[in-house]
Amino acid sequence: MFEIVLILIAPLVGGLMHGSQRVIRARMQNRQGPPLLQPFYDMYKLMDKRAFIVHPYHTILGILHFLTLWLVVALIILGTNLLYVIFLHLLATVFIVLAGFSVKSVFSHLGANRELLSLLAYEPIFIFLATGFYLFFGTYDISVIRENSTAIMTLPLLFIAFLLTIPLKLKLSPFDACEAHQEIVGGVEVEYSGVYFEFLYMAKWLEYIFVFSLLTLFAGDSILFAIALVAVVFLVANIVDNSTARVNIQETVKFLLIWGFGLSILNIIGLSFV
Amino acid sequence: MSSIVFLIFAPFILSIFIPLMSLKIRNFVVITSVISLATVAVNTTFSSAVSFNIPHYIHEVLVALDIFLLLYFLHRGRVQNSTLVSILAIVQLVLYAIVLNLSSAQDGLDIVVDGLSIMMYLIINIVGGLIIIYALEYIEHEDISAKKKNIFIAMLLFFIGVMNALVSANSIELFFLLFELTTLCSYILIGFRADEVATQNSIKALWMNQIGGVAILLALIFSITSYETIYFSELISKVDNTFLIPITLLIVAALVKGASLPFQSWLLGAMVAPTPVSAILHSATMVKIAPFLILKLSPAFTPFVSITLSLFGAFVFLVASVMALNKDFFKEVLGLSTIALLALMISLAAYGTPEATTAAMILLCFHAVSKALLFLQAGILEKNYHLKYISDIDSLINIAPKTLFFIMVGFASLTLPPFGAFVAKFLAITAISDQILNNPLNAIVLALLVLGSVVLAILYFKVTSKLFTKEVFQNFSKEKLAWKYFIPSFALFLLLVAGVLFMIDLKTIKVYELVVPTLLLVATPLLFKYATFKNTPRSKEYNCGEKDEFIVSTHYYEIAPKYLKLFSYIAIAFIVVLQVGGLF
Repeated sequence: MFEIVLILIAPLVGGLMHGSQRVIRARMQNRQGPPLLQPFYDMYKLMDKRAFIVHPYHTILGILHFLTLWLVVALIILGTNLLYVIFLHLLATVFIVLAGFSVKSVFSHLGANRELLSLLAYEPIFIFLATGFYLFFGTYDISVIRENSTAIMTLPLLFIAFLLTIPLKLKLSPFDACEAHQEIVGGVEVEYSGVYFEFLYMAKWLEYIFVFSLLTLFAGDSILFAIALVAVVFLVANIVDNSTARVNIQETVKFLLIWGFGLSILNIIGLSFV
Repeated sequence: MSSIVFLIFAPFILSIFIPLMSLKIRNFVVITSVISLATVAVNTTFSSAVSFNIPHYIHEVLVALDIFLLLYFLHRGRVQNSTLVSILAIVQLVLYAIVLNLSSAQDGLDIVVDGLSIMMYLIINIVGGLIIIYALEYIEHEDISAKKKNIFIAMLLFFIGVMNALVSANSIELFFLLFELTTLCSYILIGFRADEVATQNSIKALWMNQIGGVAILLALIFSITSYETIYFSELISKVDNTFLIPITLLIVAALVKGASLPFQSWLLGAMVAPTPVSAILHSATMVKIAPFLILKLSPAFTPFVSITLSLFGAFVFLVASVMALNKDFFKEVLGLSTIALLALMISLAAYGTPEATTAAMILLCFHAVSKALLFLQAGILEKNYHLKYISDIDSLINIAPKTLFFIMVGFASLTLPPFGAFVAKFLAITAISDQILNNPLNAIVLALLVLGSVVLAILYFKVTSKLFTKEVFQNFSKEKLAWKYFIPSFALFLLLVAGVLFMIDLKTIKVYELVVPTLLLVATPLLFKYATFKNTPRSKEYNCGEKDEFIVSTHYYEIAPKYLKLFSYIAIAFIVVLQVGGLF
């Protein structure tokens, strides 16, 4: 029952995280900034707008992207197979990439292409993350990982590698080339409007839940540790977002492949010597 | 036993008579025989293991055939001015003479049909058969004489017969003959269009595959001198850990057929042939010998050979995937992804653990179906729309929705859940992870596998998205497909769907894990069809006020030539290490 409630409110929690991120960012820049509930006001406003669509396929793929992502989050909350969840997340990415390419827009195409390339940066790390937990716990089951004590001491390099992917997944500086508002007008999002944009907006919130629920896996069964981990990482991610400049997608992929994936491999190799 | 004999001999006999038939009779005969071959192949799954001996007088005929074949290669080498082919043919003749001299009459079973052979029968006859039906239509659009068209169809059927025999052979001597016959088939089919490029590429395919033949003969000689057997089953059970050279030489033969680096160029050269040839080479026949042979030999591997071959396979998997990212020719993209996936199968098969073997076998089956489907669509694009390059196939969704659907399914089935290839990937990651604690090198194998599969996913969706770009205000036209094009494609699609059901039955991953993505993927085309958003206003894309015309293009990621060379050297080094490992 508790899980079902969690699944239902997952997008809302994501929205709150997005809102608090905007508040934090504003405070760091010495601005007043929007209220915490601004994302929800945005949603309310968007519903009122007249929606234009480019063509139905584009819209449908956007909605499917949101639904698949919600499913991914639901499966994580239900404590299912970690590796499977990561592959299902790939399906969600495929939907948004196809959507991005399905319209004849330069920005959308650039965004979709960067989205595809960023797959090369984070997907290997995610799969190795699953492998790391598998080697430690003997299973991919998220519920088992949550019931046992933390694995962070055994998987420190994987933890760092995972942290590196967070800005990329949440579209935060320095790895926000996929979206890059000033440069490619939001990438894939650009052709969505009105109520249909809401799905993409909510999908973005769900990415927060996706990333941070993976992060809590490092905390094991300790809820306090999990909360502390999320709070600290959230704060640090925002500090980094505020204090760094965007790097281009090639640099992003290169950096994450060398450092992120490199550390993951080292950690896994190290496991066999322990 | 009778069904095995039918599977082997019916295609041979038919292929002799087909050149004499008229168009209608030919089509009728081919379709009925393809259906009966597929039915018999399905029937073999219900029978238990079969093994029998070939009568002695047939042996003499086979030896004569072998010598004749090698002499024919020698002749072709001289006619086509290829010293390489001639030299290799002479080497083979000499080695074959040594083999004949060494091997006296032995007790053993020439034909052994086990589970692996039955799986191969299914792939060869069902997928191969569908490709032949497709070829009946395709070849009619070629600008050649009716007789040559018939010969083409006959060659394809002959190929099926050779493959059926090859996967049943237990005698390595017989295996060698059949191996050479597949080489002959590919040589003739690749050179079928008889222009300059075709001839050149067919010669290349010939000499590269002859290297495989030489490797088998050497393996045979070592097997006879050290283990006194010419049979796979006995060699595998008798082989000593300290002298594995017959096995490692057979691995080389497998790598040649599987077009692994550094032998990749023969398969890429095969693109010049009519598309059904590529389809049948890539999916149902020829290249599948590689994983088949490794699966067969893997019980005899030492840990050293196992890990070396796994590393090698994973390495080729990644390199071939990256190479494919830079290609524009649709068939070449498919070809390189075949090389990549074959290497992956080899890598998995080399482990020899039950999980890895299952993963390799699932991949073997579903790769065949998916690749056949994709190649058939490549042929349709070529014949119906005169499209060969990815850069030209813009907005296919507007003109050819059916073909696009099949291409999408083909690509999706190679990466996404719930399809067989996905399950295989899932099992593979688990199987390799299980080995990491024994040997840290497996972490490298896993890293290469993961990177390669992400690169392949990028490749597939790069290509599909290119097809998918749709004009805002253009409705798509209905696409007319000849039934001999449509039915095989649709049947392959059904096989993929059946594969999902089979995966559910297999219980390697949980039921909902397959059902959920299935629902999503089924929903997508249905929504496309029925959710039309009629009342929502449409708008053109936002272009920042610019009026420039928008040309859809994709990105290409090129590897510098010096690295390509380096990769070939690394591949050769791996093969050398493998042989050295076999010696000690």
